This record gives sequence, structure tokens and C-alpha cells, in this order.
Amino acid sequence: MRIRNLLYETALILLASVLLGFGSHIPLIKRYFQGEFRYGFISLEKHPLMVYITLPEAEELFQGGRSIFIDSRTEDAYNEGHIVGAVNIPYEKFNEFFRDTIFPLEQTLVVYCDGTECKSSTAVAKLLYERGFRNIKIFFGGWAEWIANSLPVSEGNDTK
Amino acid sequence: MIRNKYVLYFFRIIVGGVFIWAGVLKIIDPLGFAQSIANYRLFPAWMAFFMALVIPWIELICGVLLILGLFPRTSSFVLSLFLFAFIVLIWTAILRGLNIDCGCFGSFSRKVDYSLLLVDGILFVMSTLLFLSSGRKEV
Repeated sequence: MRIRNLLYETALILLASVLLGFGSHIPLIKRYFQGEFRYGFISLEKHPLMVYITLPEAEELFQGGRSIFIDSRTEDAYNEGHIVGAVNIPYEKFNEFFRDTIFPLEQTLVVYCDGTECKSSTAVAKLLYERGFRNIKIFFGGWAEWIANSLPVSEGNDTK
Repeated sequence: MIRNKYVLYFFRIIVGGVFIWAGVLKIIDPLGFAQSIANYRLFPAWMAFFMALVIPWIELICGVLLILGLFPRTSSFVLSLFLFAFIVLIWTAILRGLNIDCGCFGSFSRKVDYSLLLVDGILFVMSTLLFLSSGRKEV
């Protein structure tokens, strides 16, 4: 009987939380169902110039040669292979790696990580935004999509 | 179990207070919390999004109930489950070498490390003792 009460009250708390949680964030839920936040949780109101881009867009920026690609994966993953010319700034060591890189603030940056399931590209993009960069693009297909399409890659550290 | 009502009251204030604080900070910034959940790389993005909407309210409600002494058994039970889950999550994050913010207190969050595990462990013990002591006559 006591266990039943416990479970009953727990279910009530859960129900109240769902109602309050959903009820207090209706605009956010609407935006979710309109397709936002599928690949990361950047509020486009807070970061209006930060966008998610697809493979063709990333490829176009790559061919254009004026954008800098940022690889937010670990050092090991980066050394095994990365998009040609990409600079490694792992999310876990952002401060350490960011210090060594100097880009003008108006530079277009394309951040990527493993693929759609990884989150470090979004996290690094946010940190770059906080440092004053405004032209940031997140290539959410990432490394997985890039190599699946046999696009140019290199190994080791080709930026130093 | 602990029967000293002052000790239990102290535990209630500490555990309840921490969860009210944590809950409010996350309610204010649901996207930040969603990103923190996603950083653990254990849940798909849609799940992180909906968890970020609901979990802070559970924390807030249980924290308030615990401090007010309403449904102390249930609120301490839920918070103990949460703390247990946090400990497992933080531990797995440390083992996987993830250097991430814990997401515990919104933008006031700290990095995942063993000292955080210790803090959560202490809160877990307090909360579990509250659960086991609830329903008994206090002295």
C-alpha cells in the first residue's frame, strides 16, 4: 500500500512537471516542431548569425577557399584525418587550442565534429560566438558525411 | 534511522534548497540545459530537448515539497533517484574522459570531476536518509 502511494505520488509530480514544463515553454516547443533544435540547441534569437549548413553548402564554402574549417573533435581523431586545412579546436580543450589560433572576427568559420549525433561543433560554435565571431556556420553532417562523399581530407596537423 | 528532527530538518533545507536553486536556473535557460544533457552524448537530441523542459520542474517541485514537509517520502524518493542517476552520469562521463560542464546549475555549472561526484554523493546520502526516515516518528 505504501509503495502504491509512493508510485502514485511520484506519477502526480511527474505529470505536474510535464504540464508545467510544456506549458511554460510553448513557443520553444513550437519552434522545435518547426524544425529548430534538431541538431543543436542554439537559440537563433541569441545567436542570429549562427546557422546550420548542409554538405553542399559546406562544400561550396570549402571550394570558395575563404572560410576556415574548425574541427571540434579530439586531437587524436583530428590527427587520424580531417577536412583539408581544418584547424583543430577540441571542445574539451577550447581555451588551450583557441589561444594558438588568430582569425579576424569577420572571418567565416565552419565548425564540424563527427556527424549529426555529436554536439561539440555546436558547443564550440557557441564559445566562438562568445569570443566575438559572428559569421559562424555549423556543418552538422560533419566528418562522417564528408568522408562518405570522398571529399578532400588530410592527416596529421597540416595547419602548423 | 535518524530520528533527530533538527538533523532531518537540516537535511531537508540543504537537499531541497539545492534542488530549488538548480531547478530555477534550468527553467530560465532550457536550451542551455538541453545542450548540457546532449553533451553527455547518451541521449538523442529530441530526448535531451524534452528532458530539459520537464526535469527542472521535477527538481523544483520536489525541492519545494521537501522544504515544506509535504509528501516528504515521495519527494525525497524522487530526489534520491535523481541524485543516483546524476552520480552514474557523472561517473560515466569521467570514465569516458569527457571534459564537460555538468549542467547541474545552468550557467553556474562546473566541470564534471570527482569533487562533483563527492558533492552529489553527500546529497544522495542525505536524501536517502530522509526517505528512509520519513513516515517514522520524529523525536
